[in-house]
Amino acid sequence: MIELDVSLSLSRFPLRVQANLPADTVAVLGPSGSGKTSLLETIAGLRPKAVGRVVIRDATVMDTAKGLRPPPERRRIGYVPQDSCLFPHLDVERNVRFGMTRGAATRLFDEAVRILEIEPLLPQYPATLSGGERQRVALARALATEPRLLLLDEPLAGVDVALRGRILPYLLRIRESLAIPFLYVTHNAGEARAVAESALVLRRGAVVHAGSPEESIAAMSREDPEARFDNVFSGLLSAGEPGAAGLFVAHGQRFAVPAEPVLTPGAALYAVAPDDVLVSTQPLTGVSARNVLRGRVRSVEDSDGTAWTRISAGGFDWTARLTRAAAEELGLTKGADVWIAIKTHAFHRLR
Amino acid sequence: MTSPTDLSIFLLTLRVAAIATLAILPLGIGAAWILARREGPWRTLIETLLSLPLVLPPTAVGLLLLEALRRSGPLGRVLDRAGVEILFTWKAVVLATAVMSFPLLVRPARTAFEEIDPRLLAMGRSLGSRPWSVFRRVALPLSWRGLLAGTLLAFSRALGEFGATIMIAGNIPGRTQTMALAIFQRTHIGQDDAALRLVGITAIVAFTIVGASEIITRRRARKTAA
Repeated sequence: MIELDVSLSLSRFPLRVQANLPADTVAVLGPSGSGKTSLLETIAGLRPKAVGRVVIRDATVMDTAKGLRPPPERRRIGYVPQDSCLFPHLDVERNVRFGMTRGAATRLFDEAVRILEIEPLLPQYPATLSGGERQRVALARALATEPRLLLLDEPLAGVDVALRGRILPYLLRIRESLAIPFLYVTHNAGEARAVAESALVLRRGAVVHAGSPEESIAAMSREDPEARFDNVFSGLLSAGEPGAAGLFVAHGQRFAVPAEPVLTPGAALYAVAPDDVLVSTQPLTGVSARNVLRGRVRSVEDSDGTAWTRISAGGFDWTARLTRAAAEELGLTKGADVWIAIKTHAFHRLR
Repeated sequence: MTSPTDLSIFLLTLRVAAIATLAILPLGIGAAWILARREGPWRTLIETLLSLPLVLPPTAVGLLLLEALRRSGPLGRVLDRAGVEILFTWKAVVLATAVMSFPLLVRPARTAFEEIDPRLLAMGRSLGSRPWSVFRRVALPLSWRGLLAGTLLAFSRALGEFGATIMIAGNIPGRTQTMALAIFQRTHIGQDDAALRLVGITAIVAFTIVGASEIITRRRARKTAA
Protein backbone atom coordinates (compact mmCIF):
# COMPACT_ATOMS: atom_id res chain seq x y z
CA MET A 1 0.00 0.00 0.00
CA ILE A 2 1.33 3.40 -0.95
CA GLU A 3 -0.16 6.60 0.37
CA LEU A 4 0.83 9.88 -1.22
CA ASP A 5 -0.24 13.38 -0.30
CA VAL A 6 2.48 15.81 -1.31
CA SER A 7 2.72 19.34 -2.66
CA LEU A 8 5.58 21.30 -4.09
CA SER A 9 5.59 24.45 -6.15
CA LEU A 10 7.34 24.03 -9.46
CA SER A 11 8.18 26.88 -11.81
CA ARG A 12 5.28 26.21 -14.20
CA PHE A 13 2.60 24.74 -11.94
CA PRO A 14 2.17 23.37 -8.44
CA LEU A 15 2.74 19.66 -7.94
CA ARG A 16 -0.11 18.30 -5.88
CA VAL A 17 -0.35 14.53 -5.75
CA GLN A 18 -2.92 12.83 -3.60
CA ALA A 19 -3.47 9.12 -3.98
CA ASN A 20 -4.13 6.06 -1.88
CA LEU A 21 -2.87 3.15 -3.87
CA PRO A 22 -3.84 -0.33 -2.76
CA ALA A 23 -0.86 -1.82 -4.60
CA ASP A 24 2.86 -2.01 -3.91
CA THR A 25 3.86 -1.52 -7.51
CA VAL A 26 2.69 1.67 -9.16
CA ALA A 27 3.23 2.99 -12.66
CA VAL A 28 3.46 6.79 -12.87
CA LEU A 29 2.24 7.93 -16.27
CA GLY A 30 1.76 11.26 -17.99
CA PRO A 31 3.38 13.54 -20.55
CA SER A 32 6.90 14.90 -20.20
CA GLY A 33 6.97 17.84 -17.84
CA SER A 34 3.89 16.76 -15.90
CA GLY A 35 5.84 16.47 -12.65
CA LYS A 36 6.66 12.75 -12.60
CA THR A 37 10.35 13.19 -11.83
CA SER A 38 9.59 15.93 -9.30
CA LEU A 39 7.24 13.53 -7.55
CA LEU A 40 9.99 10.92 -7.29
CA GLU A 41 12.48 13.51 -6.05
CA THR A 42 10.00 14.68 -3.44
CA ILE A 43 9.58 11.16 -2.12
CA ALA A 44 13.36 10.62 -2.15
CA GLY A 45 13.80 13.79 -0.05
CA LEU A 46 15.68 15.68 -2.73
CA ARG A 47 13.15 18.53 -2.79
CA PRO A 48 13.54 20.22 0.58
CA LYS A 49 10.62 22.58 -0.04
CA ALA A 50 8.08 19.82 -0.57
CA VAL A 51 5.43 19.31 2.07
CA GLY A 52 3.04 16.48 2.80
CA ARG A 53 2.90 12.86 3.74
CA VAL A 54 4.25 9.66 2.23
CA VAL A 55 3.45 6.27 3.71
CA ILE A 56 4.71 2.98 2.36
CA ARG A 57 3.36 -0.25 3.84
CA ASP A 58 2.58 1.41 7.19
CA ALA A 59 6.02 3.04 7.37
CA THR A 60 5.85 6.83 7.29
CA VAL A 61 8.60 8.17 5.03
CA MET A 62 7.71 11.79 5.63
CA ASP A 63 4.95 13.77 7.30
CA THR A 64 5.80 17.44 7.35
CA ALA A 65 2.67 18.36 9.31
CA LYS A 66 4.10 16.32 12.17
CA GLY A 67 7.56 17.71 11.64
CA LEU A 68 8.85 14.49 10.12
CA ARG A 69 11.06 15.52 7.25
CA PRO A 70 14.07 13.22 7.24
CA PRO A 71 17.02 14.09 4.98
CA PRO A 72 17.47 11.83 1.91
CA GLU A 73 20.18 9.76 3.58
CA ARG A 74 17.79 8.63 6.29
CA ARG A 75 14.87 7.62 4.05
CA ARG A 76 16.12 4.27 2.78
CA ILE A 77 14.67 4.85 -0.65
CA GLY A 78 16.39 3.50 -3.73
CA TYR A 79 16.26 6.13 -6.45
CA VAL A 80 17.21 5.15 -9.99
CA PRO A 81 17.14 8.32 -12.10
CA GLN A 82 16.56 8.27 -15.82
CA ASP A 83 20.21 8.81 -16.74
CA SER A 84 21.39 6.34 -14.04
CA CYS A 85 23.72 8.92 -12.40
CA LEU A 86 26.55 6.51 -11.75
CA PHE A 87 29.64 7.94 -10.04
CA PRO A 88 32.13 8.37 -12.90
CA HIS A 89 35.16 8.13 -10.61
CA LEU A 90 34.23 4.74 -9.20
CA ASP A 91 34.22 1.35 -10.89
CA VAL A 92 31.01 -0.66 -11.02
CA GLU A 93 31.77 -2.61 -7.86
CA ARG A 94 32.40 0.52 -5.80
CA ASN A 95 29.34 2.16 -7.33
CA VAL A 96 27.19 -0.74 -6.19
CA ARG A 97 28.81 -0.76 -2.75
CA PHE A 98 28.49 3.01 -2.32
CA GLY A 99 25.28 2.94 -0.33
CA MET A 100 26.09 -0.15 1.72
CA THR A 101 26.94 0.50 5.33
CA ARG A 102 30.26 -0.83 6.42
CA GLY A 103 29.88 -4.36 7.68
CA ALA A 104 26.57 -4.82 5.89
CA ALA A 105 25.87 -8.37 4.88
CA THR A 106 27.64 -9.23 1.64
CA ARG A 107 24.43 -11.08 0.84
CA LEU A 108 22.88 -7.79 -0.31
CA PHE A 109 25.72 -7.10 -2.70
CA ASP A 110 25.81 -10.65 -4.00
CA GLU A 111 22.08 -10.71 -4.49
CA ALA A 112 22.01 -7.41 -6.40
CA VAL A 113 24.91 -8.54 -8.59
CA ARG A 114 23.29 -11.88 -9.25
CA ILE A 115 19.79 -10.63 -10.02
CA LEU A 116 21.06 -7.99 -12.42
CA GLU A 117 23.81 -10.17 -13.88
CA ILE A 118 26.53 -7.53 -13.60
CA GLU A 119 29.33 -9.72 -12.28
CA PRO A 120 31.47 -9.31 -15.43
CA LEU A 121 31.05 -5.53 -15.28
CA LEU A 122 32.35 -5.10 -11.72
CA PRO A 123 35.88 -3.88 -12.60
CA GLN A 124 34.69 -1.52 -15.34
CA TYR A 125 34.09 2.22 -15.10
CA PRO A 126 30.69 3.74 -16.01
CA ALA A 127 32.11 5.50 -19.10
CA THR A 128 32.72 2.12 -20.74
CA LEU A 129 29.20 0.77 -20.13
CA SER A 130 26.27 0.71 -22.55
CA GLY A 131 22.98 2.38 -21.65
CA GLY A 132 21.35 -0.86 -20.60
CA GLU A 133 24.35 -1.88 -18.49
CA ARG A 134 24.31 1.47 -16.73
CA GLN A 135 20.67 1.08 -15.86
CA ARG A 136 21.32 -2.37 -14.44
CA VAL A 137 24.23 -1.10 -12.35
CA ALA A 138 22.14 1.82 -11.07
CA LEU A 139 19.41 -0.63 -10.12
CA ALA A 140 21.89 -2.90 -8.36
CA ARG A 141 23.30 0.10 -6.49
CA ALA A 142 19.82 1.01 -5.29
CA LEU A 143 18.98 -2.59 -4.36
CA ALA A 144 22.18 -3.08 -2.36
CA THR A 145 21.02 -0.44 0.14
CA GLU A 146 18.06 -2.67 1.04
CA PRO A 147 15.54 0.08 0.25
CA ARG A 148 11.98 0.05 1.51
CA LEU A 149 10.87 1.62 -1.77
CA LEU A 150 12.34 1.85 -5.26
CA LEU A 151 11.82 4.89 -7.47
CA LEU A 152 12.44 4.03 -11.10
CA ASP A 153 12.46 6.94 -13.52
CA GLU A 154 11.94 5.60 -17.04
CA PRO A 155 14.46 2.82 -16.59
CA LEU A 156 13.85 1.67 -20.15
CA ALA A 157 13.78 5.07 -21.88
CA GLY A 158 16.37 5.55 -24.58
CA VAL A 159 16.95 1.82 -24.62
CA ASP A 160 16.23 -0.09 -27.82
CA VAL A 161 13.70 -2.89 -28.11
CA ALA A 162 16.23 -5.68 -27.72
CA LEU A 163 17.63 -4.11 -24.54
CA ARG A 164 14.17 -3.45 -23.18
CA GLY A 165 13.64 -7.14 -23.49
CA ARG A 166 16.85 -7.71 -21.54
CA ILE A 167 16.10 -5.30 -18.67
CA LEU A 168 12.37 -5.75 -18.15
CA PRO A 169 12.83 -9.28 -16.83
CA TYR A 170 15.21 -7.96 -14.16
CA LEU A 171 12.54 -5.55 -13.00
CA LEU A 172 10.02 -8.35 -12.81
CA ARG A 173 12.51 -10.44 -10.92
CA ILE A 174 12.94 -7.64 -8.39
CA ARG A 175 9.20 -7.52 -7.96
CA GLU A 176 8.81 -11.24 -7.66
CA SER A 177 11.80 -12.34 -5.59
CA LEU A 178 12.54 -9.27 -3.46
CA ALA A 179 8.99 -7.91 -3.13
CA ILE A 180 10.22 -4.31 -2.82
CA PRO A 181 7.46 -1.80 -3.53
CA PHE A 182 8.17 0.62 -6.37
CA LEU A 183 7.02 3.63 -8.33
CA TYR A 184 7.78 3.26 -12.01
CA VAL A 185 7.72 6.22 -14.38
CA THR A 186 7.08 5.28 -17.99
CA HIS A 187 5.49 6.36 -21.26
CA ASN A 188 4.84 2.79 -22.26
CA ALA A 189 1.48 1.29 -21.36
CA GLY A 190 2.81 -2.19 -22.06
CA GLU A 191 5.58 -1.74 -19.52
CA ALA A 192 3.12 -0.35 -17.03
CA ARG A 193 0.90 -3.37 -17.50
CA ALA A 194 3.81 -5.76 -17.26
CA VAL A 195 5.36 -4.40 -14.07
CA ALA A 196 2.73 -2.53 -12.08
CA GLU A 197 -0.50 -3.42 -10.34
CA SER A 198 -1.67 0.15 -10.08
CA ALA A 199 -1.20 3.35 -12.07
CA LEU A 200 -1.31 7.12 -11.67
CA VAL A 201 -1.69 9.52 -14.57
CA LEU A 202 -0.38 13.06 -13.99
CA ARG A 203 -1.14 16.26 -15.85
CA ARG A 204 0.47 19.55 -14.89
CA GLY A 205 1.32 18.26 -11.45
CA ALA A 206 -2.08 16.81 -10.59
CA VAL A 207 -3.47 13.29 -10.62
CA VAL A 208 -6.02 13.01 -13.42
CA HIS A 209 -6.51 9.28 -13.09
CA ALA A 210 -5.66 6.55 -10.60
CA GLY A 211 -6.52 2.91 -11.03
CA SER A 212 -5.30 -0.27 -12.58
CA PRO A 213 -2.84 0.03 -15.46
CA GLU A 214 -5.58 -1.35 -17.75
CA GLU A 215 -8.01 1.37 -16.77
CA SER A 216 -5.34 4.05 -17.03
CA ILE A 217 -4.63 3.44 -20.68
CA ALA A 218 -7.44 5.65 -21.92
CA ALA A 219 -6.33 8.54 -19.71
CA MET A 220 -2.76 7.94 -20.77
CA SER A 221 -3.59 8.07 -24.48
CA ARG A 222 -5.46 11.31 -23.92
CA GLU A 223 -2.74 12.96 -21.84
CA ASP A 224 0.55 11.75 -23.18
CA PRO A 225 1.48 12.35 -26.82
CA GLU A 226 4.61 10.27 -26.34
CA ALA A 227 2.72 7.30 -24.96
CA ARG A 228 3.41 3.84 -26.32
CA PHE A 229 0.98 1.02 -25.97
CA ASP A 230 2.73 -2.26 -26.33
CA ASN A 231 0.55 -5.26 -25.58
CA VAL A 232 2.49 -7.38 -23.12
CA PHE A 233 1.65 -10.98 -22.27
CA SER A 234 3.24 -13.40 -19.89
CA GLY A 235 2.76 -17.10 -20.30
CA LEU A 236 4.43 -20.38 -21.02
CA LEU A 237 6.54 -21.10 -24.05
CA SER A 238 7.00 -24.55 -25.46
CA ALA A 239 9.34 -25.48 -28.25
CA GLY A 240 7.86 -26.41 -31.60
CA GLU A 241 9.68 -28.15 -34.42
CA PRO A 242 13.33 -27.09 -34.74
CA GLY A 243 13.44 -23.91 -36.83
CA ALA A 244 9.66 -23.58 -36.78
CA ALA A 245 7.51 -21.23 -34.78
CA GLY A 246 7.36 -21.57 -31.02
CA LEU A 247 4.14 -22.10 -29.19
CA PHE A 248 3.26 -19.60 -26.52
CA VAL A 249 0.36 -20.23 -24.22
CA ALA A 250 -1.10 -17.48 -22.08
CA HIS A 251 -4.48 -17.58 -20.35
CA GLY A 252 -5.31 -20.75 -22.24
CA GLN A 253 -4.81 -18.95 -25.53
CA ARG A 254 -2.21 -20.33 -27.95
CA PHE A 255 -0.05 -18.05 -30.03
CA ALA A 256 2.48 -18.81 -32.71
CA VAL A 257 5.66 -16.89 -31.94
CA PRO A 258 8.91 -16.56 -33.91
CA ALA A 259 11.39 -19.41 -33.96
CA GLU A 260 14.61 -18.85 -32.05
CA PRO A 261 18.00 -20.47 -32.66
CA VAL A 262 17.82 -22.03 -29.21
CA LEU A 263 14.35 -21.95 -27.88
CA THR A 264 14.22 -22.28 -24.12
CA PRO A 265 10.84 -23.47 -22.99
CA GLY A 266 9.37 -22.04 -19.80
CA ALA A 267 7.97 -18.77 -18.54
CA ALA A 268 8.07 -16.10 -21.20
CA LEU A 269 7.00 -12.54 -21.80
CA TYR A 270 6.04 -11.19 -25.20
CA ALA A 271 5.15 -7.75 -26.51
CA VAL A 272 3.07 -6.81 -29.53
CA ALA A 273 3.07 -3.21 -30.76
CA PRO A 274 -0.41 -1.72 -31.29
CA ASP A 275 0.54 -0.98 -34.90
CA ASP A 276 0.87 -4.71 -35.48
CA VAL A 277 -2.67 -5.59 -34.48
CA LEU A 278 -4.86 -5.92 -37.56
CA VAL A 279 -8.59 -5.35 -36.98
CA SER A 280 -11.42 -6.64 -39.13
CA THR A 281 -15.20 -6.60 -38.81
CA GLN A 282 -15.46 -9.72 -40.97
CA PRO A 283 -14.35 -13.19 -39.95
CA LEU A 284 -10.71 -13.48 -40.96
CA THR A 285 -10.04 -16.53 -43.07
CA GLY A 286 -7.42 -17.18 -45.61
CA VAL A 287 -4.94 -14.70 -44.17
CA SER A 288 -1.29 -15.43 -43.67
CA ALA A 289 -1.25 -14.26 -40.06
CA ARG A 290 -1.01 -17.24 -37.75
CA ASN A 291 -2.80 -15.70 -34.81
CA VAL A 292 -6.43 -14.83 -35.40
CA LEU A 293 -8.77 -14.14 -32.52
CA ARG A 294 -12.37 -13.19 -32.23
CA GLY A 295 -13.12 -10.30 -29.91
CA ARG A 296 -15.20 -7.34 -29.00
CA VAL A 297 -14.41 -3.62 -28.99
CA ARG A 298 -14.32 -2.19 -25.49
CA SER A 299 -13.56 1.39 -26.33
CA VAL A 300 -12.29 3.65 -29.05
CA GLU A 301 -10.27 6.68 -27.95
CA ASP A 302 -9.59 9.34 -30.50
CA SER A 303 -6.49 11.46 -30.22
CA ASP A 304 -4.96 13.49 -33.04
CA GLY A 305 -6.31 11.43 -35.89
CA THR A 306 -5.38 8.17 -34.23
CA ALA A 307 -8.03 5.80 -32.93
CA TRP A 308 -6.73 3.83 -29.97
CA THR A 309 -8.97 0.82 -30.02
CA ARG A 310 -9.22 -1.48 -27.04
CA ILE A 311 -10.41 -4.94 -27.89
CA SER A 312 -10.91 -7.86 -25.59
CA ALA A 313 -10.07 -11.09 -27.33
CA GLY A 314 -8.83 -14.46 -26.16
CA GLY A 315 -8.98 -13.38 -22.54
CA PHE A 316 -6.79 -10.31 -23.07
CA ASP A 317 -7.22 -6.62 -23.58
CA TRP A 318 -5.52 -5.58 -26.77
CA THR A 319 -4.66 -2.09 -27.85
CA ALA A 320 -4.71 -1.55 -31.58
CA ARG A 321 -3.68 1.67 -33.25
CA LEU A 322 -5.79 2.59 -36.24
CA THR A 323 -6.19 5.76 -38.21
CA ARG A 324 -9.36 7.62 -37.42
CA ALA A 325 -10.50 7.11 -41.02
CA ALA A 326 -10.04 3.36 -40.76
CA ALA A 327 -11.94 3.17 -37.50
CA GLU A 328 -14.80 5.21 -38.95
CA GLU A 329 -14.95 3.16 -42.12
CA LEU A 330 -15.16 -0.05 -40.13
CA GLY A 331 -17.74 1.51 -37.87
CA LEU A 332 -15.81 0.54 -34.77
CA THR A 333 -17.76 1.43 -31.69
CA LYS A 334 -18.03 -0.02 -28.24
CA GLY A 335 -19.49 -3.52 -28.33
CA ALA A 336 -18.75 -4.20 -31.99
CA ASP A 337 -17.72 -7.75 -32.87
CA VAL A 338 -14.30 -7.88 -34.47
CA TRP A 339 -11.56 -10.24 -35.46
CA ILE A 340 -7.93 -9.42 -34.86
CA ALA A 341 -4.90 -10.89 -36.54
CA ILE A 342 -1.30 -10.76 -35.37
CA LYS A 343 1.56 -12.02 -37.46
CA THR A 344 3.97 -14.41 -35.82
CA HIS A 345 6.81 -11.94 -36.17
CA ALA A 346 4.86 -9.19 -34.47
CA PHE A 347 5.53 -11.04 -31.20
CA HIS A 348 8.72 -9.71 -29.60
CA ARG A 349 10.07 -11.75 -26.79
CA LEU A 350 10.93 -9.72 -23.69
CA ARG A 351 11.86 -12.64 -21.50
CA MET B 1 75.09 42.11 9.31
CA THR B 2 76.06 39.21 7.10
CA SER B 3 73.81 39.00 4.13
CA PRO B 4 71.92 35.72 3.92
CA THR B 5 72.81 33.24 1.18
CA ASP B 6 70.63 32.64 -1.86
CA LEU B 7 69.72 29.24 -0.45
CA SER B 8 68.57 30.56 2.91
CA ILE B 9 66.43 33.21 1.22
CA PHE B 10 64.98 30.56 -1.06
CA LEU B 11 64.21 28.23 1.85
CA LEU B 12 62.60 31.02 3.88
CA THR B 13 60.42 31.93 0.89
CA LEU B 14 59.49 28.31 0.30
CA ARG B 15 58.62 27.76 3.96
CA VAL B 16 56.51 30.89 4.24
CA ALA B 17 54.66 30.16 1.00
CA ALA B 18 54.02 26.56 2.03
CA ILE B 19 52.65 27.54 5.44
CA ALA B 20 50.48 30.28 3.92
CA THR B 21 49.07 27.90 1.29
CA LEU B 22 48.35 25.16 3.81
CA ALA B 23 46.71 27.70 6.10
CA ILE B 24 44.27 28.96 3.46
CA LEU B 25 43.52 25.50 2.03
CA PRO B 26 40.64 24.46 4.32
CA LEU B 27 39.16 27.96 4.44
CA GLY B 28 39.52 28.51 0.69
CA ILE B 29 38.01 25.14 -0.22
CA GLY B 30 35.17 25.72 2.22
CA ALA B 31 34.49 29.17 0.75
CA ALA B 32 34.67 27.78 -2.80
CA TRP B 33 32.21 25.01 -1.89
CA ILE B 34 29.71 27.42 -0.39
CA LEU B 35 30.03 29.83 -3.32
CA ALA B 36 29.55 27.00 -5.81
CA ARG B 37 26.59 25.36 -4.12
CA ARG B 38 24.57 28.04 -2.41
CA GLU B 39 22.54 30.77 -3.98
CA GLY B 40 21.67 34.09 -2.43
CA PRO B 41 22.02 37.85 -2.67
CA TRP B 42 25.00 37.82 -0.32
CA ARG B 43 26.87 35.56 -2.68
CA THR B 44 27.90 38.40 -4.98
CA LEU B 45 28.99 40.48 -2.02
CA ILE B 46 31.22 37.72 -0.67
CA GLU B 47 32.61 37.01 -4.11
CA THR B 48 33.49 40.66 -4.58
CA LEU B 49 35.09 40.92 -1.15
CA LEU B 50 37.14 37.79 -1.79
CA SER B 51 38.34 39.12 -5.11
CA LEU B 52 39.49 42.47 -3.68
CA PRO B 53 43.09 41.37 -3.07
CA LEU B 54 43.30 40.60 -6.80
CA VAL B 55 42.41 44.11 -7.90
CA LEU B 56 43.57 46.40 -5.08
CA PRO B 57 47.22 47.47 -5.09
CA PRO B 58 49.00 44.98 -2.84
CA THR B 59 50.40 47.87 -0.85
CA ALA B 60 46.84 49.02 -0.13
CA VAL B 61 45.96 45.58 1.22
CA GLY B 62 49.18 45.69 3.22
CA LEU B 63 48.27 49.07 4.69
CA LEU B 64 44.82 47.84 5.69
CA LEU B 65 46.43 44.84 7.41
CA LEU B 66 48.93 47.12 9.08
CA GLU B 67 46.15 49.34 10.45
CA ALA B 68 44.27 46.32 11.77
CA LEU B 69 47.33 44.76 13.38
CA ARG B 70 49.06 47.77 14.94
CA ARG B 71 48.89 47.83 18.72
CA SER B 72 46.08 50.36 18.74
CA GLY B 73 44.22 48.57 15.93
CA PRO B 74 41.22 46.30 16.46
CA LEU B 75 43.06 43.05 15.91
CA GLY B 76 46.40 44.24 17.26
CA ARG B 77 44.95 45.01 20.67
CA VAL B 78 43.64 41.47 21.07
CA LEU B 79 46.87 39.95 19.84
CA ASP B 80 48.95 42.22 22.05
CA ARG B 81 46.98 41.15 25.11
CA ALA B 82 47.52 37.51 24.10
CA GLY B 83 51.24 38.24 23.80
CA VAL B 84 51.34 37.42 20.10
CA GLU B 85 53.58 39.53 17.95
CA ILE B 86 52.96 39.46 14.25
CA LEU B 87 54.10 42.66 12.63
CA PHE B 88 57.61 42.55 11.15
CA THR B 89 58.05 38.84 11.91
CA TRP B 90 57.89 35.86 9.54
CA LYS B 91 54.29 35.43 10.67
CA ALA B 92 53.47 38.73 9.01
CA VAL B 93 54.94 37.40 5.78
CA VAL B 94 52.71 34.36 6.08
CA LEU B 95 49.68 36.53 6.75
CA ALA B 96 50.35 38.89 3.84
CA THR B 97 50.96 36.09 1.35
CA ALA B 98 47.94 34.14 2.64
CA VAL B 99 45.59 37.08 2.13
CA MET B 100 46.97 37.83 -1.32
CA SER B 101 46.85 34.19 -2.48
CA PHE B 102 43.39 33.42 -1.15
CA PRO B 103 41.35 34.48 -4.22
CA LEU B 104 43.67 32.56 -6.52
CA LEU B 105 42.82 29.38 -4.64
CA VAL B 106 39.10 30.05 -4.37
CA ARG B 107 38.40 30.81 -8.04
CA PRO B 108 39.62 27.57 -9.65
CA ALA B 109 38.29 25.55 -6.71
CA ARG B 110 34.86 27.11 -7.15
CA THR B 111 34.89 26.36 -10.87
CA ALA B 112 35.88 22.76 -10.15
CA PHE B 113 32.99 22.38 -7.70
CA GLU B 114 30.54 24.02 -10.10
CA GLU B 115 31.46 21.49 -12.78
CA ILE B 116 30.21 18.61 -10.63
CA ASP B 117 26.75 17.43 -11.64
CA PRO B 118 24.64 18.32 -8.57
CA ARG B 119 22.58 15.20 -9.24
CA LEU B 120 25.60 13.07 -8.35
CA LEU B 121 25.70 14.76 -4.96
CA ALA B 122 21.96 14.24 -4.52
CA MET B 123 22.48 10.59 -5.48
CA GLY B 124 25.13 10.26 -2.78
CA ARG B 125 22.70 11.60 -0.18
CA SER B 126 19.93 9.32 -1.40
CA LEU B 127 22.29 6.36 -1.07
CA GLY B 128 22.65 7.07 2.62
CA SER B 129 25.67 9.39 2.92
CA ARG B 130 25.62 12.49 5.09
CA PRO B 131 26.58 15.80 3.41
CA TRP B 132 30.16 15.72 4.71
CA SER B 133 30.58 12.17 3.53
CA VAL B 134 29.21 13.03 0.09
CA PHE B 135 31.71 15.90 -0.06
CA ARG B 136 34.56 13.53 0.76
CA ARG B 137 33.45 10.57 -1.36
CA VAL B 138 32.00 12.32 -4.41
CA ALA B 139 32.88 16.02 -4.56
CA LEU B 140 36.59 15.80 -3.68
CA PRO B 141 37.45 12.91 -6.03
CA LEU B 142 35.62 14.63 -8.89
CA SER B 143 37.25 18.03 -8.38
CA TRP B 144 40.75 17.29 -7.15
CA ARG B 145 42.39 18.45 -10.37
CA GLY B 146 40.79 21.87 -10.08
CA LEU B 147 41.64 22.03 -6.39
CA LEU B 148 45.26 21.11 -7.08
CA ALA B 149 45.51 23.66 -9.87
CA GLY B 150 44.15 26.33 -7.50
CA THR B 151 46.55 25.28 -4.77
CA LEU B 152 49.53 25.51 -7.11
CA LEU B 153 48.37 28.90 -8.34
CA ALA B 154 48.00 30.18 -4.78
CA PHE B 155 51.40 28.74 -3.86
CA SER B 156 53.16 30.41 -6.76
CA ARG B 157 51.46 33.68 -5.93
CA ALA B 158 52.64 33.27 -2.34
CA LEU B 159 56.22 32.75 -3.53
CA GLY B 160 56.27 36.08 -5.30
CA GLU B 161 54.24 38.33 -2.97
CA PHE B 162 55.87 41.71 -2.50
CA GLY B 163 53.61 44.69 -1.83
CA ALA B 164 51.58 43.54 1.14
CA THR B 165 54.57 41.77 2.65
CA ILE B 166 56.81 44.83 2.66
CA MET B 167 54.05 46.86 4.34
CA ILE B 168 53.53 44.57 7.34
CA ALA B 169 56.71 42.51 7.50
CA GLY B 170 59.28 44.95 6.27
CA ASN B 171 62.36 43.75 4.44
CA ILE B 172 64.52 42.28 7.18
CA PRO B 173 67.27 39.99 5.82
CA GLY B 174 67.20 36.57 7.46
CA ARG B 175 63.83 37.21 9.08
CA THR B 176 61.25 38.51 6.67
CA GLN B 177 63.18 38.88 3.45
CA THR B 178 61.74 36.62 0.76
CA MET B 179 63.00 36.27 -2.82
CA ALA B 180 60.88 39.11 -4.14
CA LEU B 181 62.05 41.46 -1.41
CA ALA B 182 65.68 40.39 -1.79
CA ILE B 183 65.63 41.04 -5.54
CA PHE B 184 64.33 44.53 -4.84
CA GLN B 185 66.91 45.23 -2.15
CA ARG B 186 69.91 43.84 -4.08
CA THR B 187 68.98 45.87 -7.15
CA HIS B 188 68.49 48.91 -4.96
CA ILE B 189 72.05 48.69 -3.62
CA GLY B 190 73.55 47.98 -7.03
CA GLN B 191 74.10 44.21 -6.70
CA ASP B 192 72.38 43.46 -9.99
CA ASP B 193 74.22 40.17 -10.54
CA ALA B 194 73.17 38.81 -7.16
CA ALA B 195 69.60 39.93 -7.86
CA LEU B 196 69.66 38.21 -11.26
CA ARG B 197 70.74 34.95 -9.60
CA LEU B 198 67.59 35.09 -7.50
CA VAL B 199 65.53 35.93 -10.58
CA GLY B 200 66.93 32.77 -12.19
CA ILE B 201 65.91 30.60 -9.23
CA THR B 202 62.48 32.20 -9.12
CA ALA B 203 62.02 31.65 -12.84
CA ILE B 204 62.84 27.96 -12.58
CA VAL B 205 60.42 27.45 -9.68
CA ALA B 206 57.65 29.43 -11.40
CA PHE B 207 58.19 27.55 -14.66
CA THR B 208 57.87 24.20 -12.90
CA ILE B 209 54.71 25.14 -11.03
CA VAL B 210 52.92 26.80 -13.93
CA GLY B 211 53.91 23.91 -16.20
CA ALA B 212 52.56 21.36 -13.75
CA SER B 213 49.36 23.31 -13.38
CA GLU B 214 48.96 23.53 -17.18
CA ILE B 215 49.39 19.78 -17.55
CA ILE B 216 46.83 19.11 -14.85
CA THR B 217 44.25 21.45 -16.36
CA ARG B 218 44.77 20.12 -19.85
CA ARG B 219 44.27 16.55 -18.68
CA ARG B 220 41.07 17.64 -17.06
CA ALA B 221 39.90 19.28 -20.30
CA ARG B 222 40.64 16.11 -22.23
CA LYS B 223 38.82 13.99 -19.70
CA THR B 224 35.76 16.23 -19.89
CA ALA B 225 35.77 16.13 -23.69
CA ALA B 226 35.92 12.33 -23.75
